[in-house]
Amino acid sequence: MKVDFNKRDPVYVQVVRHFKEQIAKGMLEPGQEIPSRRELANQLKINPNTAQRAYKEMEGQGLIYTERNLPSKITKDEKVLGSVREELIVEAVDSFIASIRPIDVSVEEVLDLVKEKYEQEKK
Amino acid sequence: MIEVKELIKKFGRKKVLDGVSFTANKGEITCLIGINGVGKTTILNAIMALTPIHGGEILIDGKAIHKDSYEKITFIPDAITMLPQMRIADAMEFMADFYESWNQERATEMLRFFKLKETERISSLSKGNTAKVNLLLGLALDVDYVLMDEPFSGIDMFSREQIADVFTSHLIEDRGVIITTHEIHDIEHLIDKAILLDNGTVLKAFNTEDLRESEGKSVTDVMREVYQG
Repeated sequence: MKVDFNKRDPVYVQVVRHFKEQIAKGMLEPGQEIPSRRELANQLKINPNTAQRAYKEMEGQGLIYTERNLPSKITKDEKVLGSVREELIVEAVDSFIASIRPIDVSVEEVLDLVKEKYEQEKK
Repeated sequence: MIEVKELIKKFGRKKVLDGVSFTANKGEITCLIGINGVGKTTILNAIMALTPIHGGEILIDGKAIHKDSYEKITFIPDAITMLPQMRIADAMEFMADFYESWNQERATEMLRFFKLKETERISSLSKGNTAKVNLLLGLALDVDYVLMDEPFSGIDMFSREQIADVFTSHLIEDRGVIITTHEIHDIEHLIDKAILLDNGTVLKAFNTEDLRESEGKSVTDVMREVYQG
């Protein structure tokens, strides 16, 4: 696991985002065990306190759950999993709009281009 | 917790530290940042009582430093203090003789981690490997607090990465670490707390994650504001 962290967003937020991406891509499956706080710190080369905070945040959002003393796992809650995917899509679209808006272009023109490029990419 | 309160230190007439105050918690990495000559090393020396101070107070877990404190706190200077003709094994034996808190198991683990051989002489080591041995000798002590003076300066990128890896491992976890640097780049996302120093005073002290959260600024951004603004 290698994540390139930017320097301006809180590292724990970036870690949570990384997990959401993994979930949306299906790299992390519902019910799958996740590394311990210490292992995560080591894998991602982050401060163990940051790993702790990321897990606390994910638990708060219902992304992971912990049963007694067992390792934490990815949630099986379909609603939460669905919203992760949606959240990432909306975020990506938002940032696309933010970068395209300053350019004088109509929605139709943009959409046609998006469709064309999207199809090309698939091939 | 290490508490530095209104610390004053003079060299002759020159006041190098003029009322420095900050705290460093256990389980956190606190970074003293400032250009060369700003008094970072002097602060570490003062915490270890290696240099007399002219005002203020330093407490370790609520108490002034005393003889037994040296089993609880250790200082890793920027250059190794072992004799060059010693082999790594000799240096470890020296530490074991001196400190009850020496943990050979941990030392052996770090030798493996850093890929060092204990039969090698200190004088024959590269700069990067010398820095690693220096770090090993300090971190193999079972102490609550570790002070490190410029552990990243003047060594190659891969050695720096390896040393940074130590900070994310159990070798550091749960201890209180104070580290000095004039080059924050490598460790910006690893530290809990930054203390910016200039002219013998603390210009700004902040928790790095909090600052990213509330203001969206990196440590480097804040340094630019504070030192160049």
